[in-house]
Amino acid sequence: MQENVINQSKDITILEILDRVLNKGVVITGDIVISVADIDLVYVGLKLLLTSVETMREKRLTIVKSNQETK
Amino acid sequence: MEKIIYAIIASNRSHAELSGLVKGIQGISGSDLYVLTFKDISVAVSDFTPSKYTISKELAIDFARVIEELSQQVILLPVRFGTFLKSDEIVNQLLISHYDSFLKNLQKVENKYEFGLKALWDYEKCSEKIRTKSASEVVKAGDYFSTSTIHTNYLLEKIKKHRMEDALLKHVEALVEEILRHLAEINPDCKFKKMVTNSIILDAVFLVKKNKKDEFIQAIEVFKQQHNDLQFLLTGPWPPYSFVDIVID
Repeated sequence: MQENVINQSKDITILEILDRVLNKGVVITGDIVISVADIDLVYVGLKLLLTSVETMREKRLTIVKSNQETK
Repeated sequence: MEKIIYAIIASNRSHAELSGLVKGIQGISGSDLYVLTFKDISVAVSDFTPSKYTISKELAIDFARVIEELSQQVILLPVRFGTFLKSDEIVNQLLISHYDSFLKNLQKVENKYEFGLKALWDYEKCSEKIRTKSASEVVKAGDYFSTSTIHTNYLLEKIKKHRMEDALLKHVEALVEEILRHLAEINPDCKFKKMVTNSIILDAVFLVKKNKKDEFIQAIEVFKQQHNDLQFLLTGPWPPYSFVDIVID
């Protein structure tokens, strides 16, 4: 579980970086503008991942609560 | 061979000094980073041959790394990834023709960090809570329609949904007001996107003075503790990606 949490937060950091580097900053319409399918999908991925982190945290809380009740 | 632009830089250093400084930073794919200068503003560029085989997510992350390393040394405006120009001359022309807007934006972000804050909630749980709170405003068919048919029922559902969305938005607007009051002393520039998805109710960015960084983080920590029903994701400090207002066609 701990490892999953770390991996998820690493993924979030990467997605936050990509969101900035691809969607923000000075916009210059250059001679060549590149767009790649897997990059375009990044922001969708960020939304999905955040939702899954939220669900995961809830599950973890539920597990912690039920462990406390057992004790 | 194309030119990829990383950032617009403000510096009091001479061109030679700035060139020496960026030499220590590697561009994407191991390319040599260099600067082109006009007055007190420079552009950080490197040579690169783009193709659908070379452009990838990893390269975009590497591009962000270059901006991050530069931002440790100078005041800058990050440039969005994915644009290439044909020659140094074209980059120079760009620098000269947009000097004023570059300068204005650089002054705005000088000695400041960007932070991101996302607020998330459990949509089902929170919308139920809000629905219960506004129970006095229950939508009744009789208020709108004299008869009940499949069509009026459909419209009634739409009205209920619209009312609910309104109530949720008001809730988020109240949260934004609360954040602003909470951060009043730090007084950062900020931008808010509300209800990005059902789960992400708020996507905020703040431009915080460097000497207020710790105070800001602490204030957000306190705010988090006051709102246990929400999940917060604070990221930063970032170079000022979200506070640049320049589009060049």
